Amino acid sequence: MDSIFVIEQLLNGLGYGLMLFLLAAGLSLVFGIMDTMNLAHGSLYMAGAYIAARAHEAGAGFATAVLAAVAATVVIAFLLEQAIVRRLYARDHLAQVIATFGVILIADDVVKAIWGPSPVMAAMPAALAGPVQLLPELPYPAYRLLLIGVGLLVALGLYLLVSHTRIGMLVRAGASNRGMAELMGVRVGRVFSFVFVLGAALAALAGALMGPISAVQIGMGEAILIPALVVIVIGGIGSVRGAFVAALLVGMVDTAGRAFLPPALRAVLPPALAAELGAALAGIAMYLLMAAVLILKPAGLFPARG
Amino acid sequence: MSASLFSAQGLVKRFGGLVATDHVDLAVEAGEIHALIGPNGAGKSTVVNLISGLLAPDAGRIVLDGVELTGMPAHRRVRHGLSRCFQVTSVFGANTVFDNLLLAVQAHTGSSFRCLGRRSADTRLHARALALAHELGLADVLHRVAAALPHGVQRRLDLALALAAEPRLLLLDEPMAGMGPEDSAQMVALIRSLRERCAILLIEHDMDAVFQLADRITVLASGRVLATGEVGDIRAHPEVQAVYLGSEAAA
Amino acid sequence: MTRPGKASSAVPAADLAPLAARVLPWVLLAVLAAFPLLAPVLGLEYWLGFVRRLLIVMIAATSLNFILGYGGMAALGHAGFIGVGAYTVVALVDAGVGSAWLAWGAALAASALAAAAIGALSLRTRGVYFLMITLAFAQMLYYLAVSLSAYGGDDGYGLYTPLALGAGIDTGDEAVFFWVVLAIAALVFALFSRIAASRFGHALMGIRDNETRMSALGYPVFRLKLAAFAGAGALAGLAGALLASHNAFVSPSLMHWTESATLLVMVVLGGLGRRWGAPLGVAVWLVLAEVLKLHTEYWHWPLGLLLITVVFLAPRGLAALFARAGRAA
Repeated sequence: MDSIFVIEQLLNGLGYGLMLFLLAAGLSLVFGIMDTMNLAHGSLYMAGAYIAARAHEAGAGFATAVLAAVAATVVIAFLLEQAIVRRLYARDHLAQVIATFGVILIADDVVKAIWGPSPVMAAMPAALAGPVQLLPELPYPAYRLLLIGVGLLVALGLYLLVSHTRIGMLVRAGASNRGMAELMGVRVGRVFSFVFVLGAALAALAGALMGPISAVQIGMGEAILIPALVVIVIGGIGSVRGAFVAALLVGMVDTAGRAFLPPALRAVLPPALAAELGAALAGIAMYLLMAAVLILKPAGLFPARG
Repeated sequence: MSASLFSAQGLVKRFGGLVATDHVDLAVEAGEIHALIGPNGAGKSTVVNLISGLLAPDAGRIVLDGVELTGMPAHRRVRHGLSRCFQVTSVFGANTVFDNLLLAVQAHTGSSFRCLGRRSADTRLHARALALAHELGLADVLHRVAAALPHGVQRRLDLALALAAEPRLLLLDEPMAGMGPEDSAQMVALIRSLRERCAILLIEHDMDAVFQLADRITVLASGRVLATGEVGDIRAHPEVQAVYLGSEAAA
Repeated sequence: MTRPGKASSAVPAADLAPLAARVLPWVLLAVLAAFPLLAPVLGLEYWLGFVRRLLIVMIAATSLNFILGYGGMAALGHAGFIGVGAYTVVALVDAGVGSAWLAWGAALAASALAAAAIGALSLRTRGVYFLMITLAFAQMLYYLAVSLSAYGGDDGYGLYTPLALGAGIDTGDEAVFFWVVLAIAALVFALFSRIAASRFGHALMGIRDNETRMSALGYPVFRLKLAAFAGAGALAGLAGALLASHNAFVSPSLMHWTESATLLVMVVLGGLGRRWGAPLGVAVWLVLAEVLKLHTEYWHWPLGLLLITVVFLAPRGLAALFARAGRAA
């Protein structure tokens, strides 16, 4: 294992972590402020991925395709919030889980009806298809650098929004004490809609960006939803800062587990066993992390509520 | 001190930087009604939660009848004779009064891990629940749903649930809270009648009730014991008057 | 039974209801027992396997209803225990064991142990955190199964020889295995009904309604919850073992998180904390899915719509709806 390989894997982990953050930020805010568990968040991610891939394929520039995907998903999310989600805010978590699971089922069929059952190949923008020479020995895919760049920019933007603007102040007030926010005369309904749609936009952005380096297919939302939930639980529900730290942690642990565990185990165990054990441990690394965090800190690393 | 039925020694509880309970000593004698009073925020509820085991103290020990309760989980303290009521009425609202009583009695009549026999066939359980209902004047409302009962009756049921444990020390956390004068008077009479059964640590805001019922009083202020003694002494205690009445007037 | 001053020309509907409740389960059992004989006559052979699967899923759903509906523990990892049961069978068959008693008994024991261990760690958390930590443990089991290349990893493991029950019972025979499953399902349901009415069941419901108060009444809340959780895990494991024989195949997909979610969905659909909630939810959900699948490849969205409708219009589930209709009649 040379240092170049290690750096490469760390960058991969960073990129994956940042994309997870985009997903988890919206999920965590919706959860923290509206006390609502939205399983359909993954479906919004899927919508972003499909729309961007198809728009790009149809001839739109990559940036245009991504923006179109975000815009379209925002509209979808707005309608979803108005029609279903806002009626769930006052319900218990189980009702929310059931209803939004229903939304997942509908969304998967809608995608199948529009774009067919087979996976879609999402093309990379031609200009970014090649590698960039980061160090003399270290070529790194330009597209993955773009992911990292966009992820960091959005994280910074979100930080500024939440900590330095009026709407951010309302959002934080809502997350830490909803009753107080209502007493202060905040028009809670509008803040809720805004937060939901903002979360959807971030999810769509993540989906659109992840498309070219993952499989754009039905079920991708359900697959990514679980790591995103793991992130918000580790970070502390409702905390954007917690989601950021936890997303990077999960991204790193997951990537590092897959890259380093099998070779590391091979050094001490027979190859066949090492391969098996390595794969198992890599798969469960993030869940072990979450279980450990919850057993030690039952409300996550950065609880939003005092 | 060691002869007391119950004693708490040097109880300390901190929440972050705040010291909610600051070296509190408390002793309750057998057959005694001991009132714990103090202005809002004095830390009375914290003390009750420390004694009943809902909170773990940072320091101090709790002994009931020679048995060290410190560090014991709440449910085992009940087995050793320490039972409590809650400030907010805490009955099983969706169930009937009888089901409430059955549940309370069941905790002390055989194992609750038994899972094959129908509970409805357990005559011993039914007899004890019925007896409890009669003792606390709940026989008339036995098959009414608890949540639909008047507040005063619900409090009485709450008390009945705590008494099912046949405690040696009963903690009553503001039993008169939210009651009108008529209900209060009934509750005072009821508590007085319990004197025969067990010692009582009474946390109460209603000073009339406290002076009617208590044998001794401990005054808590800012998490510390300000004074403890006979009712007359406490009434005349200048510092108590200043702190207690002053704060109450301000609040 | 007639009360003075009341017309008693007809038996009041209220008196019929308990009678129906006592007779109906036996009628249902008789119909199900006759099904393997009737199916070929009615041209319903296709549905024999389906109803058998339905009965197996009912076992798992009933065990989930017990901890969720009666115990208030919203677990999103129940399929993990189904998997433990199924893979226990795989491990034993792979090692040359052919006895159903041994395989199913071991599945019960293994999943009870797994549930006890997972419960001991998870039951310290509450609400959504409990939901998530049970999910996390189920995911661990899932990836563990994926990595077990000896048992086929991702591709799964085929069970080609039927398990032997002895006494001339051939579990390889479609109808005979149906009856075996029916007997076990009926036994589990009777057991569940019994437990729900027992001291343990009442204690559990008390914990669901007010945990702090139960602790203050003297109940060992944590141990009671853990016992319920382990017991429910064991029954889910039994369902997994039966499912392994039913499919003659086991793969990690049994444990995918959407399987846990579907189980949860069926229980809520049927009616949480209601005796007939789980069987009703399983029947409605699986029958609907099966019928839709026969007619269209877009069979997910109507189910999704059903869920949303139930959440908004029948939040206490279908069993509650029926109970209300029964009272109104």
